[in-house]
Amino acid sequence: MIPVESEASSKDGVKIIYVAKENILQFLKEKKDEGFDYLLMITGIDYKDHLEVVYHLLSSKSGERLVVKAKTDGEIDSVTSLWKGANWHERETWDLLGIKFNGHPNLKRILLAEGWVGHPLRKDYPMEKKQYVNLKEDGYDSVSFEKKEGY
Amino acid sequence: MQDKIVEVNFGPQHPSTHGVLRVKVKLDGEVIVDAQPIIGYLHRNAEKLSEMGYYPKAQIYVDRLDYAAALNMELGFVLSAEKLMDVQVPDRALWIRMMMVELNRIASHFIWLGTHGLDMGMLSPFFYCFREREKVFRILDEITGSRLLYNYFAIGGVYSDVTPKSLEMIKTWLSDFDKNLTEIENIFKKSYVYVARTKGTGKLGLDDTISYGVTGPMLRAAGKKWDLRKNKPYLHYDQINFDVPSQQAGDVYARMLVRIEEMHQSARIVAQVLDKLPAGDFYNKKYSKPMLVRIKATGESYIPTESPKGEFGIYLVGDGSAIPYRFRIRSPSFANLSAAPAMLIGYKIADMTATLSSMDPVFGEVDR
Repeated sequence: MIPVESEASSKDGVKIIYVAKENILQFLKEKKDEGFDYLLMITGIDYKDHLEVVYHLLSSKSGERLVVKAKTDGEIDSVTSLWKGANWHERETWDLLGIKFNGHPNLKRILLAEGWVGHPLRKDYPMEKKQYVNLKEDGYDSVSFEKKEGY
Repeated sequence: MQDKIVEVNFGPQHPSTHGVLRVKVKLDGEVIVDAQPIIGYLHRNAEKLSEMGYYPKAQIYVDRLDYAAALNMELGFVLSAEKLMDVQVPDRALWIRMMMVELNRIASHFIWLGTHGLDMGMLSPFFYCFREREKVFRILDEITGSRLLYNYFAIGGVYSDVTPKSLEMIKTWLSDFDKNLTEIENIFKKSYVYVARTKGTGKLGLDDTISYGVTGPMLRAAGKKWDLRKNKPYLHYDQINFDVPSQQAGDVYARMLVRIEEMHQSARIVAQVLDKLPAGDFYNKKYSKPMLVRIKATGESYIPTESPKGEFGIYLVGDGSAIPYRFRIRSPSFANLSAAPAMLIGYKIADMTATLSSMDPVFGEVDR
């Protein structure tokens, strides 16, 4: 059994479990074996002093739901070995929140262009600084702070 | 001659990708050996935008997620926000909401059915589908005042009551809806070319479906009877009789059958709501619009709803202010589309349009 740090409940009555980030892969594997076969989404929250990774699980047999959270400083183990769908969700969390998933097969930006500076959902992201996606001569995108031809 | 792998770019401006999807396909002859969907061309970070304003202000961004079924998107937001703020909703508003989302589900499935037919080389169902969709839009227009993006549900109720004229319109529309839909259905089912191209195409097994987090009609077509309206009823779906269609094959043809049956069931729900619609307020008079922006909320909530594409919900985290601290959109199309490589690899390039359109991706929602 993996130790649980603390438990809480959300407003819609779903259990929230906090787990240490080193144990997250083992803990989710246990939960998957218990019947939580669906990974609905992975997301992150920026609490300024630390980041939190949130996993929403669902059991398709009983309809039970579970929220698992882990505090992190920017790195956590990938769960792509358990759920194939975790791949895109982890890429998105890396793209928008800058949480690195160790062991992910293809951790690249998914929604923003490759080369983007910063992670927009961080609370300290500079909103007034515009970035432009420009078209390079070889057809690929490049990101810069200046507006260039063909952006 | 030496075998050569050819890389082809499909999209982002291809008519059959239903938006701005780009798929990098590697071909061996005409067999797909690798397919990588590339998304993000419609990205505008609705999550960040919603985290910048008061709770009710997020609704216009939610509206524009799945623009084919805007009311279903709004429903996911208002339910989640009401839970977070402990706002009570009058009974009549709940019934009106239920009727509206079912109407919008029908409209969304019609646009899918029409364009899916178009992808498969059938022009006539497109016109029939848009004719029927137009009738639904006339009703939605009469009730909400707009045709595509409604901004109609509000935290604490709905913005306006249904008019007697609109109820008459729904009754007239319902009287021949099933007949018209069966007509369109038969065009698909009796077309030899359509059946030959879709049966056994784009198969996704149940294990893969669950592993990828795929929900909605695609899951039901793969053999699982799972519908949140039945399995975790919200609004008043537990007081309504309807069936959850399901198929075993998990291919494009099965998805078409499931969606068409869902439309019949949605019409059944609308008819029952008309009978049961209670009298009373259509919004909570305690919460006027200026007051809503002042409600402070803490904690977190996530209410899953069954949108036409699958499980949709908004994960809200409040920090005690009137602005959401975290606003996460669980978009079904995003998860469904991530399963695309599993459905494409091994099939021929000609099957690709069939498979992609059977997923019903809407890019406002995928790219957010």
